Amino acid sequence: MIDYFKTIFSATSATCQGLWITLKYMFKPSITVQYPTEKLVPYEKFRGALLFDAETCISCNLCVKACPSVCIALENATVPDPKNPALKKKVAKVDWYSIDFGKCNFCRLCEESCPTKPKSVWHSLDYELVFFNRDEMVRCWKAGFSFIGKYWDRKTKEFKAPAGQISIHEVAPRR
Amino acid sequence: MSPETAATAPREFKTDTLFINLGPQHPSTHGVLRIGLTIEGEVITKAVPDVGYLHRGTSKLAEVRGYHHCVVLTDRWDYVSAMPNNLVFCLAAEKILGLKVPPRADAIRVAMCELNRLASHLLFFGTYGIDTGAITPFLYAFREREMILDLFEMVCGARLTYNYIRLGGVMVDVTEDWIAKCREFLEYFKPRLDEYDTLLSFNPIFMARTQGIGCISKEVAVNWGLSGANLRGSGVNYDVRKADPYCGYDQYQFDIPLGKTGSCWDRYYCRVSELRQSVRIVEQALDKLPAGPFMATGVAKVPKPQPGESYAHVEASRGDLGIYLVADGQASPYRMHVKAPSFINLAILQELLAGRKVADVIAVLGSIDIVLGEVDR
Repeated sequence: MIDYFKTIFSATSATCQGLWITLKYMFKPSITVQYPTEKLVPYEKFRGALLFDAETCISCNLCVKACPSVCIALENATVPDPKNPALKKKVAKVDWYSIDFGKCNFCRLCEESCPTKPKSVWHSLDYELVFFNRDEMVRCWKAGFSFIGKYWDRKTKEFKAPAGQISIHEVAPRR
Repeated sequence: MSPETAATAPREFKTDTLFINLGPQHPSTHGVLRIGLTIEGEVITKAVPDVGYLHRGTSKLAEVRGYHHCVVLTDRWDYVSAMPNNLVFCLAAEKILGLKVPPRADAIRVAMCELNRLASHLLFFGTYGIDTGAITPFLYAFREREMILDLFEMVCGARLTYNYIRLGGVMVDVTEDWIAKCREFLEYFKPRLDEYDTLLSFNPIFMARTQGIGCISKEVAVNWGLSGANLRGSGVNYDVRKADPYCGYDQYQFDIPLGKTGSCWDRYYCRVSELRQSVRIVEQALDKLPAGPFMATGVAKVPKPQPGESYAHVEASRGDLGIYLVADGQASPYRMHVKAPSFINLAILQELLAGRKVADVIAVLGSIDIVLGEVDR
């Protein structure tokens, strides 16, 4: 009988101790972020969605070899040097470049291997990557496209701007 | 049978065993684990864990990927503590490649692994509370875990799959800013541990729920090959950090918390005590962070080691994580075998559950603390 009341007493006192801790935090400011209306900007080194610059890329294939999930593909193109178009010397440029975000690991190996300055492929701070269909996962870049790129819609047979990526910083500061 | 005997004779109920599935979508299985339970009334007569729902074939995939690529694959085993996974592969590959890691990288590795152990054990602490019916500690544990993940995000850019520890060192150096923020977090974290003890560890309701449940004796624990807090909860003093030190763990001062009876509560309290020890180790690592390079020189872009084999093991958050690596002179490993602690710890579940009540299943399963990414690989 005494044990019975002892148990009741110890459980009640433990509950009160727990409630005292929660009570102390009740009057402190909340740490919750109301996500869709309130958004955090990640740290500078954050590995978000990849961006690509078709102007600086020299199509050296290093990122293709560095990728552990083989999600990068590119096609070479040699074009006249844009600085001296009169010369016969041609420079290596990329014809098209594509990243399959369905396979991407977000590991930064491609960015680290990129030899150009500034980087041709780099991680942005965009963490809101939403895809409405599978075509949208394969992001494509050509000369003149923005850093975010476009995707090839197989039904309408045209390039479309991705709708699901909300851009926080188009050019990450560490590029 | 006369009417008189029919009234006095014990009534013959038609009883039957019932087979039920726990999972694979059950929230308390912490992933996709199916347990086939054969129950008789409330008592479990047989429990068969069924694994393989999260199999991604990383050890096979490693045979066609380069050594740098494999570090990315290792992130996906134990996804709540990926730093020790990175570390164990790098240790094995460095042995085979003959790389010498600079002391600064070693200290950073130790600090990162211990921070990751904090994050992992906090996740266990919170979810084990939920498994046994206490929701408040979960919110407190996740508040602190969020800060650790912020620290990781600050230094390597990812919150879960870090890819931070690389062959020959680490990805980037830690900055003074980061060290200051880490110290600030540790100071904030220490008093929180007492709160956890009040909220959950020494709560009589929680203790009544977990003490004396799922007891593993010393001999049984060793026979099943358990490791980590599951082994130490039974009172066996084995920790790879002490038994086979790596990354200079022999220079750090820390204790190995041990349990007594090997019950769910002992395993739980081992992990909570390890939080204090991990804080000590991180502080020591930050105090004596040596200057110098954070990456070894001469790490090839495509390493092609001489034919040979190596084995490395570390004390990951869930136990003794080992890697056996065979190289055949090509750019990718010939064979990579993973000795995953979660998989081996899970095996004892079939013995622990037999004869127990249905209500204890989640308490026992939660206390073993498995991650299905590591079980299935």
